[in-house]
This record gives sequence, structure tokens and C-alpha cells, in this order.
Amino acid sequence: MKCSCYSFRRKLLSTVISVSLPVMALAEPSNADLQAQIDVLQNQVTALNSEVQQAAEWKNPNTLIHMAGYADVGFISPEKGNDSFVVGTFAPIFHFQYRDVVMLESELEFEVGEDGETEVNLEYLTVDWFVSDYATILVGKFLSPVGQFRQNLHPSWVNKLPSAPPGFGHDGAAPISDLGVQVRGGFPLGGMRANYAVYSSNGPELNSETEDETEFELEGIRAEGFGVDRDGDKTLGGRFAILPVSSIEIGLSFSTGKATVTELENGLEPPTAGLESGFIEGEIARDYDVIGADFVWFTGNMSFRGEYVKTEIGEAATGVTTGEGAIWESLYTQLAYRLPGTKWEGVIRYGDFDSPHNSQDVTQTMLGVNYLISNNFIAKLGYEINDGVTGSPVDDDRTLLQLAYGF
Amino acid sequence: MKNLNNRIYDQACKLSGIGMLLLGVSYSLPAIAADYPQAGNFSNGSKVWAENCNRCHNMRGPKELKDDQWISTAFHMRLRAGLTGQETRDIITFLQASNTKTVASGSTQVSAVISKGATGKETYEKTCIACHGNDGKGTLPGTPDFTSHDGALSKTDEVLIDHITNGFQSTGSPMAMPPRGGNANLSATDISAVLKYLRDAFGK
Repeated sequence: MKCSCYSFRRKLLSTVISVSLPVMALAEPSNADLQAQIDVLQNQVTALNSEVQQAAEWKNPNTLIHMAGYADVGFISPEKGNDSFVVGTFAPIFHFQYRDVVMLESELEFEVGEDGETEVNLEYLTVDWFVSDYATILVGKFLSPVGQFRQNLHPSWVNKLPSAPPGFGHDGAAPISDLGVQVRGGFPLGGMRANYAVYSSNGPELNSETEDETEFELEGIRAEGFGVDRDGDKTLGGRFAILPVSSIEIGLSFSTGKATVTELENGLEPPTAGLESGFIEGEIARDYDVIGADFVWFTGNMSFRGEYVKTEIGEAATGVTTGEGAIWESLYTQLAYRLPGTKWEGVIRYGDFDSPHNSQDVTQTMLGVNYLISNNFIAKLGYEINDGVTGSPVDDDRTLLQLAYGF
Repeated sequence: MKNLNNRIYDQACKLSGIGMLLLGVSYSLPAIAADYPQAGNFSNGSKVWAENCNRCHNMRGPKELKDDQWISTAFHMRLRAGLTGQETRDIITFLQASNTKTVASGSTQVSAVISKGATGKETYEKTCIACHGNDGKGTLPGTPDFTSHDGALSKTDEVLIDHITNGFQSTGSPMAMPPRGGNANLSATDISAVLKYLRDAFGK
């Protein structure tokens, strides 16, 4: 009995061992198997690392190329005249940036003229050198830092109405752009903030008009960034703004220098022997002085802003356009309110432009309704009530529709 | 001869002026950072973004651009808005952190573990206040008014936690709130705490 029991135990033990061995072999792989798995995982991690590194190469490369800009199309319906579809502006902006050291930025402006021709202008082209946290040097053709509208608000997706305030467009009271060197930046000022821009540039030029092609008089200022300084005197200018609280900005601007008549009406050109091209013999450099003030207050759904600019040209005792000086003056205020919880926005703007020529003077009230399809794609409807000299083009009221897209 | 001397003198003055300007600039130049842009302050970035961009134009949501596009855009806007270099870096940090997709659940668990347990008020003041304001009424157009009786806080906790966690497009607002208010480090605990703070501070 004892023997058979012993034999049974031996059989049982051998059976358990023979069954357990393969199971144990499955549950605990050999070192070679583990090494093989590790090798596979290692290869996968290496491949993933490589992919991550390659992806990161393009996340923040040292040189960045970026395009932004804006465009607008629309419809204009004057009270006196024909309705027209219009392509307002296509304005691509190019940025080429090397780290946080330098950026080349340029805006082109494509427009379709009334004759169907496409006009291309270089709105600005600057090399921006970020020399410190508080100063950047810009060299090239830049938007005029005088006031706010030209440098910050003129893009159609930013401007809350389909047209520029009178006097702040081309040939108005406010300078458009200039060519030279500018230093600008921002800095804390006690518990407030401030920003500034100062520049030296070639300055503007003047044009003239005539009734009998023998006597000429000053017509307007062309402050659009000329590539040569025909009057020989550099223009100095700038703007200083303070933000007492973050929702309010108040700015003061100035510009001073010389300007000379370089264009006679009807293309008439008196002798220019020995002088730079475009410089009219006998013409002198007149005084050129600009002052400006601007403010903005915004809170929640409301923004309220305004701007004033006055440009004064001095008298000329000699020259083809001998005569007294002249003053161009313009201001506007604008209130915009976004209906809470909606994409609808109402805008009202009052503007006034005075020039030496009564036919150009206008007082304008403009009402607008905007629908913000998205924050950068806006449908605008505006109605201009223009009050100028009766019968003059600026006296015509207009309805404007515009689709503006900032990209 | 006199004219020639004057012209040489004029040119020499101009060149020396330009040289002194360049010398001054190069002396004040900071060393080029090893990496760029240097990390900014997320919280200040959201504040500066909310306080400045709306001054001229409608706000652009963080998700509209990729990280590198935000760098060039922010440097462009630095010049337009008169921002300092530090403010620019802060805005870039905020926008780059806010244009990411919703954090995966695995990461959420990890961040919950490492969360320091900020109070709801602290989280609100660090992450939410730039857009929603100190009074909860919103500082940007389209931001909901928390104090409104039938406003955002009338929704259930479950819905609001989902909105905070995954981001939310309010009716009438052209810009969506980014997931976790743009702060990917917010844990589930932080979100619950900030929701409780919203109800205590602004709920009626």
C-alpha cells in the first residue's frame, strides 16, 4: 500500500512538471525574446524621435516667411451717377523674418482703375531691426506715423466703414507715407504705457494748378513716400502716445521740413537745365508743417475714436507758383457699437475736411451697419451724407456696400 | 574750392553721425538668444493680447494661425501697436499655447497629478480674466456676461466643464474660447475649482 502511494506521487509529480514546463516557457519569455522586443521598441522610438525632430524643424525655424494682408470688393451707388461694382484693393503683406533680429515687411496695393487698368503701388517696404525691447529701427518706405488712421486703421478689414474719412485718403490733409529712417517702440511709464515713433525722411512734394497755363498756384500736397528729396531738406516727424489705462490711448503727432512744387498742371514743364529731374527752375522750398492729435477709447462692445490733422505750407516769394501759403485741415470722430451676443455692429462717423480749394471741402456724416461673418471677414453697408459746394463731386451722397477680408 | 571743402565737410558730418548712431545701437544690442522667441509669460500674454489688439481691429482667435505664423504676426503688430519686446514674447507664448487641440485624456491625468491645486480664484485671475474681465461681464465683444440671469452660468456643471475643457463657440461671437482658456496645464481639478468660483462670484 505504501509502495503504490509512493508510485502515485511520483507519477503525479512528473505529470505536473511535464505540463508546467511549456506553460512557464510561455509566461516567461527567454532573454533573447525580450531583447528582440526591446530592439523593436527601440527602433520605433528612434523613428518617432526622428519624425518629431523633423516636424520641429519647421515649427520655429530661424527664417520665417509669412504672408498676410487684406482685400475688399464692393458696390457704390452715388445719388448722382451710375451704380458700379468695384474691386477696392488687394493688398498682400509679405514678412521675411530672421529670428527676433530683423524683419523685412512689405505691402503691395493692387487696384483696378476706372479704365480697367490694374494699378500696383508699393504701400510700404521696410527693413525692421529689433535693436532692443524698446526700440526698432525701420529703414525704407513706411506708413506715416502721423496720427492713427494711415498707419493702423486704413486696411479695409480694420476700418469699420467702407470709405476713409475725408482728408485721410490720398491728397488729403494727413500724410500717407514717407521714405527714410524711423525709430519706434513702446515702454512702461510709471503705471501707464507709452509708445513713440520718430523719423527723418525725404518728405512730401507739391503740385500746382493753372487756369491759363501761364500762372500757377499751389494745388495740393503729395505725401506718398518719394524716392528722392528734391527740396534738399530732410523732414522730421513723429508721434508720442500715452495709455493712462489700457482702454485709452491719446497721441500727438508732428512733422516739419520743406517741400517744393515738382508738378505743374497739364504736364507743363518750364526749363530745368542743370537741375534735378522734377525740380522746377525758380521754385523754392516752402515750409512744411504738420500737427496732429488722436485718441481712442474702447470698452467691451464699444469703441470711440477721433483724429485731427493740420498741414500748413508756407508762402513762396519767388518761383513759378509764387503766392501765399495754404492750410489743409481735417478731423473725424467715430463711434462703433457691437450689439451684445450678436454679430451686428453699428457705426457712425462725422468728418470735416477744409482745404484752400472750396470745391474740395466737405463735411461728412456716415452711417454704417456691419455684419461680422467672422472677425476678419466683414460685410459693411454704409451711407455717406456729404455736404460740399453745390454741384461739386464731393457734394454727392453715396451708398456703399463692401465685403472686406483680412488674411 | 570753398564749395568743395563745404561739401566734404557736410559728407563727413553725415557719415560720422551715422557711424555714431550705429555704434550706439550696436553697443546696446542684446546678445542673440540661443533659442527664440524666448518663452514669455502666458498670463501676461493673454492680458496684453486682450488689452491691445481690440484697440484697432476685431480680435483674431488663437486658432487662426500656426505657431510660426503667430511669431511673424506678433512682431508685425509689435510695431503697429507700440508693444515692448517682452509684451510681444508674452503674447506669442499665450497664442502658441492656445492654438493647440484639446489635450488628450492621458495628459489630463498627468497634469491633474502634478497640479499644485490652485484655487478657482487664482486660476480665473491667471487664465480667464483677460477676456472675461474682473467683473465677469467680458472685456471683448462676444464674450458672455456671467452675471446675466439667463447667461452662461445657467447651464449645468457638466455642460460648462465640457465647454471649458474643450473650448466653446458662443452664439453671436465670431471667436471661440480656446480649450482650457488656452492654458493646457489646467487640470480637471482646476477646472472644477474655477467653475465653483464663477458660480460663487458671478452667479445669482
